[in-house]
Amino acid sequence: MKKIRYLLTIFLVFAMIAASCGGSDDGAAVEDDTSTEDTTDTTEAMDDTTDSTEAMDEGGGGEVATDFGVDAENKVIRVGLNADLSGPFASLVSEIVAAQQVYWEAFNEAGGYEGWTVEPVVIDSGYATDVGIQNYEQFAQESEDGVLMITENTGSPITAAIAAQAAEDNVLVIPLSWASLWPDPEFGAAILEKQTTYCIESMNGVEWLAGYAEEQGLEPSLAILSRPGEYGEDGAAGAKIAAEELGIPIVYDGTSQVAGDDRTGVIAELVGSGATMVWTTLTPGELLDIFGNAVSQGYDGLWSGNSPSFSYPVMLTSDFAGEFDQYYFQSGYYASWATPGIPEMDRLVTEMVARRPELSISDVYSTGWIEGMMTETLIRAAIDGGDMTRANMVALAGSGIEVDFGGLSANQSWPADYNEAVVRSSWIYDVDAEAFNLIPMGDYTPENPGSTGMIPLEKDYVGSVAADYVFDGPCITPSG
Amino acid sequence: MDVTTFIQTLVKALALGAVYIMMGLGFVIIFKGTQVLNFAASALSMAGAMFMSILIADRGLPFLPFGNPLAGPEGETPSIGVWLSNLIFTLIIAAILGLVVERLTIRPMIGQPLFAMAVITLGLEFAIRPFNIDATALEGRSLGVPWGAEAWTVADALIPKSYVAAAIMALIAGLVVFFFYRSRFGVAMRAVAFDQEAAMAQGINVGRVFAIAWALGVALAALAGIAYGMAPFPPGGSVSQEIHPVLAFRVLPVIVLGGLDSVIGVIYGGVMIALAEVFAGQYLSQYNSILGSGYSTIVPYLVMLIVLVVRPYGLFGTPEIRRV
Repeated sequence: MKKIRYLLTIFLVFAMIAASCGGSDDGAAVEDDTSTEDTTDTTEAMDDTTDSTEAMDEGGGGEVATDFGVDAENKVIRVGLNADLSGPFASLVSEIVAAQQVYWEAFNEAGGYEGWTVEPVVIDSGYATDVGIQNYEQFAQESEDGVLMITENTGSPITAAIAAQAAEDNVLVIPLSWASLWPDPEFGAAILEKQTTYCIESMNGVEWLAGYAEEQGLEPSLAILSRPGEYGEDGAAGAKIAAEELGIPIVYDGTSQVAGDDRTGVIAELVGSGATMVWTTLTPGELLDIFGNAVSQGYDGLWSGNSPSFSYPVMLTSDFAGEFDQYYFQSGYYASWATPGIPEMDRLVTEMVARRPELSISDVYSTGWIEGMMTETLIRAAIDGGDMTRANMVALAGSGIEVDFGGLSANQSWPADYNEAVVRSSWIYDVDAEAFNLIPMGDYTPENPGSTGMIPLEKDYVGSVAADYVFDGPCITPSG
Repeated sequence: MDVTTFIQTLVKALALGAVYIMMGLGFVIIFKGTQVLNFAASALSMAGAMFMSILIADRGLPFLPFGNPLAGPEGETPSIGVWLSNLIFTLIIAAILGLVVERLTIRPMIGQPLFAMAVITLGLEFAIRPFNIDATALEGRSLGVPWGAEAWTVADALIPKSYVAAAIMALIAGLVVFFFYRSRFGVAMRAVAFDQEAAMAQGINVGRVFAIAWALGVALAALAGIAYGMAPFPPGGSVSQEIHPVLAFRVLPVIVLGGLDSVIGVIYGGVMIALAEVFAGQYLSQYNSILGSGYSTIVPYLVMLIVLVVRPYGLFGTPEIRRV
């Protein structure tokens, strides 16, 4: 029995380690990973090499100044993708990366711009902050992986960890994150946020949902469910602002309360609150558990939440697909797969179908595509201006240059003032479980485009709260 | 107290207890047969649930490039008969996996320190887990449960069919273990558990006992993994890379409470721990801000720690008698 106790002790220790690892994709881990202390100062190394590499090269319409990530001789521009290809978001990020790669394949095959082509360099972060920082250093220094800018950086934790260093190094970074921190020049001087923020998305979502509830004869009352961390707090902050501005009572405030594997308490509070509307800032796994248990107990409120809460491959293949169809409205930032009447979507679909027929249809291709469009706009301006140095890329981004997304999402520019910089529109989709039909892109035809089950109800929706709200800065303070 | 909420909470607790019992029985069978604490239980349980998903959702056969002849008509929700036949098929495959694991990793270690064998199972956990995680991906994998998230209404309380199914599964698993213990193999297993060398001297094939213990233990773990995948358990009708990998660790307090080598202890422990966990989650939820979110997950460990202090061998475990 002594041996048994010995084994049990080991097992208990192992269980604790596993429990802590099991939560690695939740907010607690996200919060812990945001420290910037580990970021190695690459500035010195860069300064040493800048003088030797900076040169005036013969560009398209004349000479082009370059420093990092540009092969002037062969007219190739390297861009970096610090992507989660093996971590918790691998399946989504792989599709986003594929879309950006297709974007550059199409760009290059069309002759690039003034003879310049783009070579994407992809490195896997596994969604681990330390690895993400290492990858950043690899991209930032002059090496065969050195890049002009980072056109995809997965996740808030890694973006927060590299933001200060990126500003110091003049490395422009497009984050795969919609935290309200990034448009703040004090925090994200080199971070080029695409589309809106979680905070504004919540304002729009709550306002739209309240209007819908009233149409259904329901008195709006709100429950907020969010996980700990920047993502959860940002989304919940926007929902509270909207509720306050619109006079909607918050009958259950579960901000940062969704943590750990057992959500019985949160579910009990939610169901007991009798809220007619629920706003969620969660992961799909958390939402599925809470939603499934709540509706199984007869809860029949209306649901919506920040875009990452909902995942159609998870929800619409679950046993609650019908209930999601009935009660849930998805919020998001861009056009879903094959949305008609959007010229850039037509181009996206054509290129993706032709170049990656083995992949399934997906909404997130829009994200990779938009990252490509942002980068192309800046590169074109840099070539036209004869300055393709990193410092000029940062300067161009802040110069008021506007990117036209061709209807995929709201056009965007990045002025220094927070209130001018933030995009105030988001998209609202109906969830249609019947229409949901994930087909390989090889089977795509205009008559049978497949469907992710996300049917746009509102394109570039701006509620009154989001339109008029004057921000003092981000809705949250950075945890790092 | 709202009666409807109480009934729903009670049913949920009993269903969770059923899952804990199935998983706990897997632990106990292997421990009684081999004296090895199976650290690989989570990975093997999830692998079993994966087999079910491959059979029913992919209509294939695990490890083989052939279609599943028992899969039923394509494009239709499986009937209960089809689903049950695939469940039995899955348990057979899981038992075979248990045999393979035992033959390759445990059998060569007979006679070696138990600690070394336990560490081998720990290695197995880490070796199998990445395959499970890769195969499930972020989306999870459907278990094709015919009744999905349907529920019965009893006295205004919604009783999910999956909860009842989990209870029936646990009942059958308990009966199988009960009769197994009274069979020739069961007696041999108990003899081996009592004294391996003496059992060998009596002509008991210890290797065979090991093999059967692992086959049965892994099949029970797989059954628990499948039951826990049914909605409205957290994965919502699928195998989840978030939920399934830690299932065995949630059962740890159950086997400690019941006694690591006691079948009846696991049954009591499973029900008691689940009741404590679910009722604490339901009725202390208004103190979330004080207790901290996810506090109910800690309740089973609190119960476990108290039991360890008062009764180190659990409620039904075999006390150690030492000569002084």
